[in-house]
Amino acid sequence: MIERLAPEVVNGIVLGSFYAIVAIGLSLIMNLTGTINLAHGSFMTLAGYLAFAIMSRGGSFWVALGGAALLTMVVGVAVERLFIARLYKRIPLYSLLLTFGLSLIAEESFRLIWGPSSVPFAVPTNLQGSTALGNIVLPTYRLVIMGALVIVITALLLFLYRTRLGLRLRGAVQDPDMMAALGTNTRVLYTVNFAVGVLLAAIAGIFAAGLLGLQPTMGNSLLMPAFITVVIGGMGSLIGSIVGGLLIGLTVSITTLYLPAASEIVMYVLMAVVLLVRPRGLFGEAGIFG
Amino acid sequence: MRLRANAVGTSLIAIVLLALPWLLPAAKLNISLGTTVLLFALAASSVNILLGYTGLMAFGNAAFFGVGAYASALFAIHTVPSLLPAVAVGSIAGMLSAMLVGPFLIRRRGIYFSLLTIAFGQVYYFVAYRWNDMTGGEDGLTVQRPPLAAAKGVDDAQFYFFALAIFALFMVVLWYVLRSPFGLTLRAIGQNEVRARYLGIDTNRFVYFALTLSGLFAGTAGALYSMSINFAYPLLMDWHQSGDFVMMVVLGGTGTLWGPLVGATIYALGANVLSSATEAWQIAIGALFVACVLLFPRGLLGLGSRSGGAAPQSLAMEAGAEPVALAAQGYEPVAQRDLG
Repeated sequence: MIERLAPEVVNGIVLGSFYAIVAIGLSLIMNLTGTINLAHGSFMTLAGYLAFAIMSRGGSFWVALGGAALLTMVVGVAVERLFIARLYKRIPLYSLLLTFGLSLIAEESFRLIWGPSSVPFAVPTNLQGSTALGNIVLPTYRLVIMGALVIVITALLLFLYRTRLGLRLRGAVQDPDMMAALGTNTRVLYTVNFAVGVLLAAIAGIFAAGLLGLQPTMGNSLLMPAFITVVIGGMGSLIGSIVGGLLIGLTVSITTLYLPAASEIVMYVLMAVVLLVRPRGLFGEAGIFG
Repeated sequence: MRLRANAVGTSLIAIVLLALPWLLPAAKLNISLGTTVLLFALAASSVNILLGYTGLMAFGNAAFFGVGAYASALFAIHTVPSLLPAVAVGSIAGMLSAMLVGPFLIRRRGIYFSLLTIAFGQVYYFVAYRWNDMTGGEDGLTVQRPPLAAAKGVDDAQFYFFALAIFALFMVVLWYVLRSPFGLTLRAIGQNEVRARYLGIDTNRFVYFALTLSGLFAGTAGALYSMSINFAYPLLMDWHQSGDFVMMVVLGGTGTLWGPLVGATIYALGANVLSSATEAWQIAIGALFVACVLLFPRGLLGLGSRSGGAAPQSLAMEAGAEPVALAAQGYEPVAQRDLG
């Protein structure tokens, strides 16, 4: 029993960490600027393809990870400066539509450049195979992902809660005008914030490419669970995103074990249940609308 | 003066729509393109009810559209093969699908509302995608277009006029609804929900009614659409489709009666011309979206007039955000805390 369940639990935690990390990126951007970044999935896919390109030119996996993540972040900063920043003064609908348009362009571009089917994204051989913990055998790559994502989330929390820049970001979420009045350049802050969100997406995208296979729609397939994660965790809460992500990941993978047909719908059921019991989400703060 | 201008505009639109079956072949285009424009316009109008008038950023209307499409197709396949009942069943199914998810949506506003509409829209998508026995899963559902009366088939040109009749009926209904006390209440919510609340209006209830009406419009459009293309498939419900509908509204002009029709025309024509010209037409459509958002956010019909339904800013009116104060700052904070 435990031998059968344990890999699914690990699977669920890995999946959940992906959802969490994508959801945190989305949340950061949403909380500060009100932008629902529908291009978030495109950044994940882009990072995957860039890593693939670096590796196919002889770079190692870790070089590809760092290089592609940074390049994707640069693209993210350019997109924010060139397009999204123009819309901060407008209602959120416009940035939603803008990122929607960008994601259409991105997905089709990936298809044109790298083809419609998945490309062979190979993780290094020492990360393949499996590792035995007692009499439980687990895939090594999943354990590596788990470790890496834990490090990333910890680093992010340290950045937000232990650095001055993090403090300013959190301050700007509460009151951007006051932050500006106190002498912080909030335009730069918005860009930094967007870059951090994209960086998280990029890291998740590169690891996901080795796990799920790399194709033009890869990122978008992770985007919807991330939205659900934000809703379940409660908008505006990073802890909520982490807990929500893990909750969804575990629920999905355990459902896959016992009732495969319901594996996609189960997270929506979970969302509906959470919203019925707690309309603001698990860790969301109460507002006048609920 | 304004009334006369509107009357002239509406008559012009009516004349063009009536002449379309002769105009389109002259331009070497298929009549079914005209039908698509009408049905997309109807679906976009369903978004417009929420977005343009009630100030709700709905991003999931394709779900109601798709439910209508499947319901009419299933009805035509499994029961009486007759056009009108099939479309009626699709309309009602679309409305019910909105009423079903409504309780989850009505308590939220702003981007939280958008997120929830996307998420709950995907529920319908996955049901259609996974319920193989009923919906045909990924392959979709092929349906023979049923006859209108007796056993006489309906060809594409006849179907265009059938769709036009229903489209006209719904636009008249929408026009009346928007002028009724109910419609004015919706606009009041769109312009300043907090004020509407202080006036004693149970805004959540009205949002629910707006959703129901929107579901009816979307469901009808979807029902006609599957009858038009003889096909219903899961991607009709995907959030990308919802995004396209929203984009049509914005292209044409939010909060204007004919904006959705203008937007749907641009979109359908653009997609038609581009997809035959290049493989990468999605890039062009995406670029069109980006350009529209950046360059003319009020939409084509919004270019001339400043009024016409809810002004775009009113969508941002979250609790406590004073329009005057916002204008003075020249910046609109997103007031996340108020969203909860």
